[in-house]
Amino acid sequence: MSNYSFVGKPTPRLDGAEKATGRAVYVSDLELPGMLYAKILRSPLPHARIVSIDVSEAQALPGVKAVITGRDTLGVRYGFVDTPSLPADEPPLAEDKVRYVGEPVAAVAAVSEEIAERALRLIKVKYEELPAVFDAEEAMKEGAPKIHEVIKPTAPSFWQEWGVARPSKEQVVVNNVASTCFVSYGDVDKGFKEAYLVREDVFKTSPHSHCCMETHDVVASYNPTTGFLDVWTGHMGFPIKQYWLARTLGLPVSKVRIRRIHIGGVFGGKIELQPHEFIAAFLSKKLGKPVKIVLTREEDLESSRSSQHLAKIYLKTGVTKDGLLVAQHAKVIGDCGAYRGSAPVFIFLAHAFSQPIYHIPNYKYEAYAVYTNKQVRVPKRGHGAPEFRFAMESQLDMLAEELGMDPAEIRLKNFRKKGDVLPNGDILHSCGLTEGLQKLVDRIKWTEKRRKGKEGEKAYGVGLGVAAMFNGAQYYPFGSTAVVRLNEDGKAVVFTGAAEFGQGSDTLMAQITAETLGLRLNDVIVISGDSVLCPIDMHNWLSGGTFVSGRAVKLAAEDAKRQLLEVAAEMLEASPEDLEVKEGWVRVKGQPERGITVSQAVRRHILTRGGKQIVGVGHTKAIPDDPSVNWYPSLHTARGRFTGAYSFTVAGAEVEVDIATGKVRVLKVTVAHDCGFPINPQMVEAQVEGQVAMGIGQALFEELATSRHGRVLNRTLADYKVARFTDMPEVETVHVITVDPNGPFGGKEVGEGVLGALPAAIANAVANAIGTWIKEIPMRPYTVLKAIKERSRS
Amino acid sequence: MVWVKKAIKLKVNGEVKELEVEPWKTLLEVLREDLGLTSVKEGCGTGDCGSCTVILNGKAVNSCLVLAVDADGGEVLTVEGLSDGSKLHPLQEAFIKYGAIQCGFCTSGMIMAAKALLDENPNPTPEEIKEALSGNICRCAGYSNIVKAILAVAKGEIK
Repeated sequence: MSNYSFVGKPTPRLDGAEKATGRAVYVSDLELPGMLYAKILRSPLPHARIVSIDVSEAQALPGVKAVITGRDTLGVRYGFVDTPSLPADEPPLAEDKVRYVGEPVAAVAAVSEEIAERALRLIKVKYEELPAVFDAEEAMKEGAPKIHEVIKPTAPSFWQEWGVARPSKEQVVVNNVASTCFVSYGDVDKGFKEAYLVREDVFKTSPHSHCCMETHDVVASYNPTTGFLDVWTGHMGFPIKQYWLARTLGLPVSKVRIRRIHIGGVFGGKIELQPHEFIAAFLSKKLGKPVKIVLTREEDLESSRSSQHLAKIYLKTGVTKDGLLVAQHAKVIGDCGAYRGSAPVFIFLAHAFSQPIYHIPNYKYEAYAVYTNKQVRVPKRGHGAPEFRFAMESQLDMLAEELGMDPAEIRLKNFRKKGDVLPNGDILHSCGLTEGLQKLVDRIKWTEKRRKGKEGEKAYGVGLGVAAMFNGAQYYPFGSTAVVRLNEDGKAVVFTGAAEFGQGSDTLMAQITAETLGLRLNDVIVISGDSVLCPIDMHNWLSGGTFVSGRAVKLAAEDAKRQLLEVAAEMLEASPEDLEVKEGWVRVKGQPERGITVSQAVRRHILTRGGKQIVGVGHTKAIPDDPSVNWYPSLHTARGRFTGAYSFTVAGAEVEVDIATGKVRVLKVTVAHDCGFPINPQMVEAQVEGQVAMGIGQALFEELATSRHGRVLNRTLADYKVARFTDMPEVETVHVITVDPNGPFGGKEVGEGVLGALPAAIANAVANAIGTWIKEIPMRPYTVLKAIKERSRS
Repeated sequence: MVWVKKAIKLKVNGEVKELEVEPWKTLLEVLREDLGLTSVKEGCGTGDCGSCTVILNGKAVNSCLVLAVDADGGEVLTVEGLSDGSKLHPLQEAFIKYGAIQCGFCTSGMIMAAKALLDENPNPTPEEIKEALSGNICRCAGYSNIVKAILAVAKGEIK
């Protein structure tokens, strides 16, 4: 490893100077000739039938260029989930009904934002209000308001188009259940009978926002003469937005160009097509002019899909006297909001992310995603992991306490190990759980800190949390291809669909390419995230950026290197295997005087091979150890392969609780993260710290609160709290290096797993401090204070 | 509706600008829309996130909370005024070197808040930095690296 020149070394990001000088252009900075500005009229009611919409006055306002409603669209529904049994359920603009406060009902394009906004007030919508339901368990009861009844497919799914699934069927929604996930293996009843100790607890988590500093925004520009639609928007990989825009607008996929632009944070929230993107594109297509929409922070918090799911988790777990897990039965209720959003995936992932951590021989999982009249939920960093880990890691500590066992010990006893094959067939080719936990307890002086106790009004505690994360999954467009082109001046241009949204993907791809080809870092140019220039890629979803896209880039660089060495071998009269490339020079090993530059070799290649430039191509599917897998696992049964590798996090949190006020302060977070091999340790640490900030928020104060009438109450950043400088604890990262055989240079995920482990670690630390358990997050001061008081009473 | 535009004079990044602005326009809007200074970002429009921080008459302000007409006669510094791109300001160098930038949306505001702090207090403690920048949110949360970067400049490690 120490022989590497670029990978494994802390490397400042390549776009640093562009961003530090304010030159980086984001969507909201973009101005195009003839640009129009659009605003969206949103439903003020959580559930209502649309009786009529009168746009005549709005249309007549000078400066207004178009007013559209759901009736103008092609009527193609879209959604994060569109499978044969769960056809897309969301109209991009409301048709006959509105189902949540903030749902887009109409939109106006005008010569200025001010005029568009004024026109919105002239649109007259007549609603017939319907009874609404805001709690998932209430919504499941007989007689609850019906949010959806029969969902008819409006177009074939991409699964069907690609021949990997049967045609979509209509879905009859019963009791507002949008989707279910049932998994079972072993014999749970028998397992519970054999258990020495069984606990049953109920845990609750709250919805929270991605809250990217850049609010959701888009510029769409349709050129009627070429038929091309250019779209500048935040994304996590262009193919899915390209697909859904093509589908909902009736355009060929290749004529929808998602452009590369700087993106001000995503955290899962910009993963799928959103209503404002459709609206801008639709208006642009209608008018033949560029259309811009920048959502306000209020819209971003209330109406966009800026929210993670809330869940209620019923968890029953049995252990032997020695602390071995023998049985677990989990029931999860996920609240998807008014449309399915990603809830069917969320309830599947809560199970799937839990599988690779502990060996549990008897297991039953039942989960329900349920419609309510609230905003639509989409993935947010961790997507099911923080929620389920909070429940299970808390309960594990409770079980350990009752057994008189150390929380670290009970985990070590049950951890899975490298080589384990999971019930669905996934293989742990690398697994740093045991090493991570051992390193962590050493580093934080675990045993000593557990006993710290109280000092005056302050109680101190330390807790552990563990999480696992996928490294990509076999999803649309079913493969990742990358291209590395060598130019005649010796520089390499990398073309990858992997999106750069702040996490440092471009820098990582440059490091991988420079290392593989033997170039200098500044000899590599990365072109990413543009749907015309870049080949297909399976997105930076489910944390597949490094493992899947990075692997494709490495293979492309290897392919280019093979061609480079072949021509260089002719020029140097040596065999390719005797050559090495370093800092842009190809030399005969051990004879540094026999060398040529990469530039000379590329020129020679073009001259002697009929004009052919060196172009390396690399490709991979998401599950390299079984390329025959073409299908995302069943959301209903969790059958099928999930991912090609798992990364693991063990987090340790140290907290101080003010006994008088219930306020929790996180003093220090230590994270042992197994990302296989840290290709850029500086960015690995940055990812860890970012997740610590979000994890603290999720555990202690981030919550989108909804009124009795379905309105989000905290619609500003003064009311919706996120971690600031003054909330941050000391953060330490312990690198656990496991070198996964299929990852590029052994690298795996680092962007989500920490957030899976941290709320659990904080919750366990709080319990250690106050001597009692709180089973819901966020743990606000009044919740903590109530728990302290209840404990002192008992 | 007819609004009377008001003539104002601002010194922006060392250059005098004479502008006609609508009375409701914020300094943020004038900097971005009239002067094309797009380093100044709107993250909330309510003074809660600090992305639009500029230095007005020596003090860091949320430019979304200042009416342009109220800034009349004032002196404004944005990130564009720190460097022409060939030689970076030490804070810019330090932000890059210490990995204090991720998505970059908050970066300009952070750098301007840091500059205002260092102009007033050239040797801040980490606690003073955190306090001074607590109005600036970084959702990617490069907080500790931002503190390290500012300390490095204060200590003269980056010139």
